[in-house]
Amino acid sequence: MSLRARELGFLVPAALLGLLGLATVATARADGFETGPLPGALGVLAVFLAMHVALRLRAPLADPYVLPAIGVLTAIGLVQLHRIDPGLAADQAAWVAVGGAVFVGVVVALPDHHVLERYRYLIGLSAVGLLLITMVLGTEINGARLWVQVGDLTFQLGELAKVLLVIFLAAYLRDKRELLAIPTRRVLGVPAPPMAALGPVLVFLAACLGLVVILNDFGTALLFLGVFLAMIYLATGRVAYTALGLGVFLAGSAAVYAVVPRIRERVDGWISPFDDAQGQGYQLVQSLYALAEGGVVGPGLGKGFLVAEDGSTVIPALPTDFIFSAVATELGYVGGVGVLLGFLLLIQRGFVIASQATDGFSKLLAGGLTAVVGLQAILIVGGVVRLIPLTGVTLPFMSYGGSSVVTNFGLAALLLIISHRTRAGAPAPRPRRRRRREPEPEEAPA
Amino acid sequence: MNRSIRRLYLTLAGGFALLILMLGYWQVVAAEDLSERPGNPQTIQRERLIDRGRIISADGVTLAASRARRVEGQRVYQRVYPQGPLAAHAIGYSSPTEGKTGLEATWNRYLSGSFGTEPLLQRLNLSEKQGADLRVSLDTRVQRAAEQGLLGQRGAVVALDPATGGVLAMASSPTFEPQRVVGQAGYIGQVDDTALLNRAAQGLYAPGSTFKVVTATAALESGAYTPDTQFDDTGSFATPGGPIRNFGGRTFGRHTLATALTNSINTTFARIGTVLGAERLGATMTAFGFGERPPIDLPTDQVAVSGRRQGDETIPNASEGADAARIAIGQEQLAVTPLQMAMVAAAIANEGTLVAPRLMNRITDRGGAVVQRGTPEEIGQVASGANAQALVEMMEGVVREGTGTAAALSDVGVTVAGKTGTAETGDASRNQAWFIGFAPSVDPLVAVAVVIEDTSGTGGVVAAPVAAQVMRAALESR
Repeated sequence: MSLRARELGFLVPAALLGLLGLATVATARADGFETGPLPGALGVLAVFLAMHVALRLRAPLADPYVLPAIGVLTAIGLVQLHRIDPGLAADQAAWVAVGGAVFVGVVVALPDHHVLERYRYLIGLSAVGLLLITMVLGTEINGARLWVQVGDLTFQLGELAKVLLVIFLAAYLRDKRELLAIPTRRVLGVPAPPMAALGPVLVFLAACLGLVVILNDFGTALLFLGVFLAMIYLATGRVAYTALGLGVFLAGSAAVYAVVPRIRERVDGWISPFDDAQGQGYQLVQSLYALAEGGVVGPGLGKGFLVAEDGSTVIPALPTDFIFSAVATELGYVGGVGVLLGFLLLIQRGFVIASQATDGFSKLLAGGLTAVVGLQAILIVGGVVRLIPLTGVTLPFMSYGGSSVVTNFGLAALLLIISHRTRAGAPAPRPRRRRRREPEPEEAPA
Repeated sequence: MNRSIRRLYLTLAGGFALLILMLGYWQVVAAEDLSERPGNPQTIQRERLIDRGRIISADGVTLAASRARRVEGQRVYQRVYPQGPLAAHAIGYSSPTEGKTGLEATWNRYLSGSFGTEPLLQRLNLSEKQGADLRVSLDTRVQRAAEQGLLGQRGAVVALDPATGGVLAMASSPTFEPQRVVGQAGYIGQVDDTALLNRAAQGLYAPGSTFKVVTATAALESGAYTPDTQFDDTGSFATPGGPIRNFGGRTFGRHTLATALTNSINTTFARIGTVLGAERLGATMTAFGFGERPPIDLPTDQVAVSGRRQGDETIPNASEGADAARIAIGQEQLAVTPLQMAMVAAAIANEGTLVAPRLMNRITDRGGAVVQRGTPEEIGQVASGANAQALVEMMEGVVREGTGTAAALSDVGVTVAGKTGTAETGDASRNQAWFIGFAPSVDPLVAVAVVIEDTSGTGGVVAAPVAAQVMRAALESR
């Protein structure tokens, strides 16, 4: 069976999951079956088929599991949004269509991702630029300036910036990894790389972090930092750098905690949410109540208590930050673990693609993009289950929000391009057969 | 670089493992604690989804039921109380926001359908969230008579079936409307706060002369006295705490123990108390259930302990150096509930055997099958059968020719036995008037205790007629 046939096969259960979910919601919420969401569902199905066809034509050797994994996550997210508010699900379906178009666009227009290496500084500057635009033109919602408004639409440019950041870091670190890997001196007893190589990237990172801190977007700051440390580790293989980075991060966190009241409130709300259950801890407490009510198997889609009699959601940010709570409430622990395993499958494929890639840039890019998805899921789900303080990042492919959906579809397209390129070898003028060091292309990095 | 990639993957996978563990903690391990936290809207909503069982009186009247309506595509239930405020205190209320009281609280597990294997079946969607029906011993005819008797006054009535302990009526005035507790936000805050108090089981009153029944029981059980034991009253009895006089300053001269009860002679009972001592009196009190919470199926915080009290504390029934003379006539730190005094009357009516009072008759599921049945539970013997019979005859005298004639039901040919009480509070318009008794005096079917607060009348004038109406209704409903 060809890779694409396998992909199509695995898309079928994803589609069935979505349709079954819709039917369950419809029967739970009304006495009869509604056809209202059906056109939207078929539209989303068509979008995934279009992405599949694009891969068939332009990247036939790409990993066959990434698209189905995304399909499952998207389907669950859309069904849950539909259950919370059909209007939100319709919006989101439209954004999935836009995301699909971006996906197809990337697959078609970018046969070889190595092109990106050439524009590394342009891409890096764009990332900073996007954040600058947000700072200057951004509108403040809930105390954080994350959105840029254009007409009726708002865009979260930080989402796109995170992908650009990974591309830049992959290209830059690929250049300098030999230099970075050899410590030239010791700082506080820890081997440190030469400042000439590390300097620019530190400046860049500081600029990004500084901007998101100014924007009050600590979730994104945490994500950027995490991805940076992950990619430094990938490039150099030195745990010491990551440990040093984490140390600096913890010290910085303590400083931020002491200085920024908003963060102090967040952290206090995390340590003892029930002390201020009506104020700072409100969302988290309501989320924990909902999770507890869901129990092991949950009451089923549409049967949980997520929307109050007046139409408001029991957790204010339910469609965005707390979409995972909604799923785990109605589908129980089983459903919540299912979603997490879906993400784990996705990042496992991502790291397989990274380890199979034959050049440093591809490895760093695939690894970095995968780390973004994994870290982002851990950050927001960790916040929701009170493992770490709550940060307002989106759950990839599931949270309500166009920028996130579109960016993550683009990210997936890049991953699949890398995968295809790895297996197909370099395009035309370089018919060089790639060196096989791995015994099998399917082998997991674990 | 593949080693780094593998390690990074393992690190992130470890993160996911932590997420799965933490999620399991909230959804499985800590779920129950969380759902029991006050103000948890999930728990409140879960309650709304339950088709709570009915509460049905012994004469087949529905006292509480559930009505369905659709909200946000879901079927939610609201509690309805078709009889309005009838038996409001015993039934209580069940509101997702205001909580639960009375029978709604005690039998919540069954009414809400979370007994036996039901929760598991519901969890697996194999069973509807339906509660079982609660059938109670309350009889609406007796209950209505009791509430009519209290109308416009503050007080309480308890009527028991002496043989089974079944509560036929439990009334408290002023009362409240359970329907408005459920349907009208803020109603609890507006209603007279003592209206929510179940005076029948929670109200603590000085027992006054009704307590002489307990003293008389102790006297006969001691073997030193019989109903014919002779006494000589000079109108005053000296005690270390000062002289004790009779009600209205009367002097009775030579008389028997039976006459002393008929006329409620303080000096004689003070003398008996002094002879018996606090310890002996205390032992009889314990036998009647004083000093312990009556084992009735109401929430424990809605049933008060009767007995000797110091401030807000209950003190042992028997204690050295207590003023036995004043205990014997129902003074000296005694505070009792109408329920406890009804138990005193019922124990004597039931040949000296005290039976635990209870409201639940049986619990049936929606198919009519009995889930649980209330069975009479004997607590103990307060007096021998012979002494109990002697007490019955003494108490008959009270209604026939003594202070309790207003409780008589001679028009229907029924002999009533009883005892009046008037606890003076110092303010002549704020007496607490009592009557305890039972009917018929042979093979009694109903025992009652009536208390009226803040009255200028005596027990024989104010409380006895109410008791007569309640006993009449109980006998007619048989």
